Amino acid sequence: MNLKELYQEIILDHGKNPRNLGKFDNFNKDAKGHNPLCGDKVHLFLKLDENKKVNDISFEGEGCAISMASASIMTDLMKGKSEKDAKEIIEKFLDMIKEKDDIDTKLLEEDEKTKLMSLGGVKNYPMRVKCATLSWHALSSALEDFQKEVTTE
Amino acid sequence: MKIENIKKEFPIFNNKVQNNDLVYLDSANSSQKPLVVVDRIYDFYTKEFSNVGRSVHYLAVAATNLYENTRSAVQKYINAKHKNEIVFTKGATEAINLVANTFGQKYLKEGDEILLTELEHHSNYVPWHYLRKNKGIKINFAEIDEHGDISLEDIEKQITNRTKIIAITHLSNVTGAILPIKEITELAHSKGIPVLVDGCQSAPHMKMNMQDLDCDFYAISCHKMYGPTGLGVLYAKKKWLDDLPPYQGGGGMINEVKKDDISFGELPNKFEAGTMATAQVIAFNESINFLNKIGVENLVKHENDLLNYGEELLRKNNSVKLIGNPRKKGAVLSFTIDGIHPHDIATILDEDGVAIRAGHHCCQILHDKLGLTASARASLGVYNSKDDLDKLNESINNCKKIFNK
Ligand SMILES: Cc1ncc(COP(=O)(O)O)c(C=O)c1O
Repeated sequence: MNLKELYQEIILDHGKNPRNLGKFDNFNKDAKGHNPLCGDKVHLFLKLDENKKVNDISFEGEGCAISMASASIMTDLMKGKSEKDAKEIIEKFLDMIKEKDDIDTKLLEEDEKTKLMSLGGVKNYPMRVKCATLSWHALSSALEDFQKEVTTE
Repeated sequence: MKIENIKKEFPIFNNKVQNNDLVYLDSANSSQKPLVVVDRIYDFYTKEFSNVGRSVHYLAVAATNLYENTRSAVQKYINAKHKNEIVFTKGATEAINLVANTFGQKYLKEGDEILLTELEHHSNYVPWHYLRKNKGIKINFAEIDEHGDISLEDIEKQITNRTKIIAITHLSNVTGAILPIKEITELAHSKGIPVLVDGCQSAPHMKMNMQDLDCDFYAISCHKMYGPTGLGVLYAKKKWLDDLPPYQGGGGMINEVKKDDISFGELPNKFEAGTMATAQVIAFNESINFLNKIGVENLVKHENDLLNYGEELLRKNNSVKLIGNPRKKGAVLSFTIDGIHPHDIATILDEDGVAIRAGHHCCQILHDKLGLTASARASLGVYNSKDDLDKLNESINNCKKIFNK
């Protein structure tokens, strides 16, 4: 059943108890994401250290289980990653959500990939793809230093 | 036509949607179409097609007559005084834009005020916002009470001596509140203020009587009224249509065109520039026919029974919260479920064949006021039954199960 695939335990868990929720003080990059169609919002906070490594990352936001879980899982696994690696992971994740069967990168552990793959259920729900990708686009724009709010439209 | 059998008139229900019988609870968004309307479009294109109002050949004259017949049918259905008070548009959105644009052009200047309500659909806010941008007009909002309702007093409070027009919904597409339009119009007119009514949600569900309401403008969306998409109606009192400048320029709406000047045509052509949605207009006559055959009294009773039944069901369902408890309510059941986002609700319900809408329903101001980013909405049409509402409730329970609620 597709629904079971979409609402896996891990998504319900992260959706209900999102990790890294809430702003922290000394962030040096941030970006907002907004899905105008459904009103989902995310505000991403990021601290890159002098070596351009993700020292800390968190988010504020409101949205469905998919978008909250996605932001929660993403922020968890971005900690400690270099800016360059983060960008590659974003790219590979977006590829997977759109079309690929798996996440083609050596930068993630298998269990991290498994977690991300659990979001792949949205493939069968085109209207929900944006829920899964919102926070990723926001992270991407924070890394690019775009000041503009990203929207999914 | 018996309402219990009405579903049979709608071919969409003959097909499964993703292997489910369709439980369509999204009529506030757009209604399904009865076969007579679909057939009419087919017949027109296959047997009768020609452009309207331009050529003298047989088909062109026949098409023009059919087109004008719908105008008369609409006039009768909404009890307008003159046939030429009916203007066809591409939708209610265009109808409101037409008024905001032309009325704004002629009558509004910096510092003038427009009064809306917090219930308004973006279609009845954004067109006025342009005037705020371009002309320095101020927009005021009558506030909802704790029931998601707006009374005559709530409107009165916000009227100032700079208020130049009041633009309000007849029936809220979120809280279902039915506003006392007749009283509001009376009050507004006593102060010399014209009233535009967004009738998108009321026209499919209530008896329409323009002469009794006495409002100046009334916008209708045909695709929510068992009619085709791409079509709306602007009702406007004749004095306004005579008085206001044309909205769009083009063929069909002119009188004389010279290199140094242009004079505009008479009503109704003045506001219908270019080739209109001819097939849709002609088919809309069948929608009106269809509604007349059911009888609006029967329709109102049927939908009221359903609304009460649905409210009762959802009230009894733990963790479901209904939005809005207005004095008079029409065909929508908006709700939230504790701990489950409306989008997740809509996706799960869809899997059971239950089609609802989730989001802010183009009413962000209202959702902000309610402290919500989104809500779920089940809305009713003439083809719905208590069965549909039972299925809605079952599916909500399924949703709660998935989320361990
Ligand atoms: C209250 C209200 N006003 C305006 C509109 C816009 O109508 P239309 O789709 O005909 O432009 C809608 C429909 O979405 C509506 O529900």
